[in-house]
Amino acid sequence: MSAAAARSPAASRPSWRERRELVLVAVTAASAGVVGLVNPGFLTFENLRFVALNSVVLSIVALGQTLVIAMRGIDLSVAPLMGLSAMVCGLLAQSHGLPLWGAVGIALALGLALGTLNGVLVAALNIPPIITTLGTYSLFGGLTFLYSDGTQVDQVPPAYAAFGNAGPLGLPVPTPVLVLVLVTAACWFALNHSRFGRAVLAVGNNAAAAYNAGLRVTAIRIQVYALSGLLACFSGLVFVCYTGSATVTTGTGDHVELQSIAVALVGGTLIAGGRANVVGTVLASLFLSTVLTALVFLQVPPIWYSAGEGLMILVAVRGGTRRAGGTA
Amino acid sequence: MDMRAPANANAVTPRNRRRLPVGGWELALTGLLAAVVVGFGAAAPGFYTGPASLLGLTENFLPFGLVALGLSLVILTGGIDLSVGAVASLSAVLAAQLWSRFGVDIWAAAAVGVALGGVLGLVNAGVILRLGIEPLIATLGTSFLYGSAAVAAAGAEPPSGFPGGFTALGTGTVDGVLPASLAGLVPIQLVVFAAFAVLFSALVARSPFGRVLVMVGYSPDAARYSGIRTGRVLVTAYAVSGAMASLAGLVLASYYDAVRPDMGDVLLLTAITMVVLGGVSIFGGEGTVAGVVVSVLVLGFLRQGMLIAGFSDMVTTMLTGAILLASIAVKNLFNRRGTGLANQIWAMIRRPEPPRANPS
Repeated sequence: MSAAAARSPAASRPSWRERRELVLVAVTAASAGVVGLVNPGFLTFENLRFVALNSVVLSIVALGQTLVIAMRGIDLSVAPLMGLSAMVCGLLAQSHGLPLWGAVGIALALGLALGTLNGVLVAALNIPPIITTLGTYSLFGGLTFLYSDGTQVDQVPPAYAAFGNAGPLGLPVPTPVLVLVLVTAACWFALNHSRFGRAVLAVGNNAAAAYNAGLRVTAIRIQVYALSGLLACFSGLVFVCYTGSATVTTGTGDHVELQSIAVALVGGTLIAGGRANVVGTVLASLFLSTVLTALVFLQVPPIWYSAGEGLMILVAVRGGTRRAGGTA
Repeated sequence: MDMRAPANANAVTPRNRRRLPVGGWELALTGLLAAVVVGFGAAAPGFYTGPASLLGLTENFLPFGLVALGLSLVILTGGIDLSVGAVASLSAVLAAQLWSRFGVDIWAAAAVGVALGGVLGLVNAGVILRLGIEPLIATLGTSFLYGSAAVAAAGAEPPSGFPGGFTALGTGTVDGVLPASLAGLVPIQLVVFAAFAVLFSALVARSPFGRVLVMVGYSPDAARYSGIRTGRVLVTAYAVSGAMASLAGLVLASYYDAVRPDMGDVLLLTAITMVVLGGVSIFGGEGTVAGVVVSVLVLGFLRQGMLIAGFSDMVTTMLTGAILLASIAVKNLFNRRGTGLANQIWAMIRRPEPPRANPS
């Protein structure tokens, strides 16, 4: 409503976008530089590699979240989905020797199925997204618990560990980082240069208008939630490969759902829908990873990390929307 | 059916004045409550071992209900408060620290805690109104801030071992005031919850403030144009939600005889489930406190019954989520005017309805 009215015409869009991405790059580089001056260990290749690798899991989840928010939805169930996929893939690999390609297939299928469930509940049964994904949050978390049956993943086969940490063909860049680049490129193309992306943004801007213009709103909604589930589960697989571990609190324990919303918004996606910034999301996730690692190097007590995240959300969203007492 | 009645259903006419604030949804929930209690009483040995045990079970879930009461005001305005868990933790931890570090009387410290909750709610409202940030994101952000502050305030060894009078708040029963035959029967928590339930129900269904609250949620623009100071209404709603959350945190502290910086985290999801299952529309402007009270009892007894029947905590949580989704889906199916369920399903398959203009 008023959020749409406050948005300036299309002319201001590119400049605004460019600024958000440039600001993120500048702030990230500046904070890395400052920490590097205090503690030169921060700027070693090894550590920067770690910072990048560390941001991959959240970035992949947040890309799905970006699509959902662009459509004026929200997906809280990404955290338990990520944990469920990490647990299922990890346990199958650990105790049944599931090959890596099999794990990829299982993660993608799981995400697609459960994401579609979210989509059907939201789009076909008209349950508000926050309620739907709050409900499936408990459901998926429960599934993880039941599946794990009290066990946890603490060792994965070498192929998994190599996929999660080393680079392909001896490259110095870890495979997950390359995968993230591919996924980001795909999301960027889908959102900005495809019919599907325009439909997503149209639904986010004004669902009723999109419907009247002939878009299949229900189908688009289901597809976007399915994609979000798919990416969340894929990131769970990356997580278990990268860390070699998974427990019942993987994903939910770190509040990945809140973090993914935070980085999507910091990246320049509007909570009111209709505008998304895929590259911004990834840069914001990289920024978060940089800051969190820097805090360790600066020996800041860990208790203040989440306060920093909270401030980051409020500062990033400030001015994005001007709307008092809107819908949840 | 009150469920689809517009806000002006609360208009003061002699007929409405006499009517109880209950509708079809509340009655359905009451039936469900009876089914849950009788069902578990028959099927789960240990669920019902006398009236005292049944009433005693409520001590395990009434803090959730206190949060739900405050939260229902916020949700009626069309907002949401995700910070209730962190507010509960922070106020309980600070009150406990006031008592243990500074020797403040425990009841005075508790009062400070509740006041602090109100202030944190004011901060939420300030962030929403002054900075123009949507309630969902604003309270998400503040919940991180409050949570960090709670961890910092708790320190390595959070206080525990409160005086006996204070622990009675969470685990004691009302004696002396009631007839001797009821001694040891009615938990203090239940009395506190009942008092607030009556208060909030009267506030929403009978007071001018309640009417304004529902109107703001039903249509913020219409409310503003009719001269209502919507900002004030929102500020009050968030402050009350914060105060109720910290009261719940203090009851939890009393119940466990200790505080932890993450003790409030469990409150949020269940409290939202209680409010929404109680029939309050997540878009605001629709719902009754009576419904929320019954749904608190339904979900609470269901959860306790499943735990007693031997289900694990996670399975119980999972089922709570499923119930939430199923109830809203069923409500949506029946809520559209005039036609039966089968017609609705058929209509959905044949021709999807145009979506709402702004589903969030």
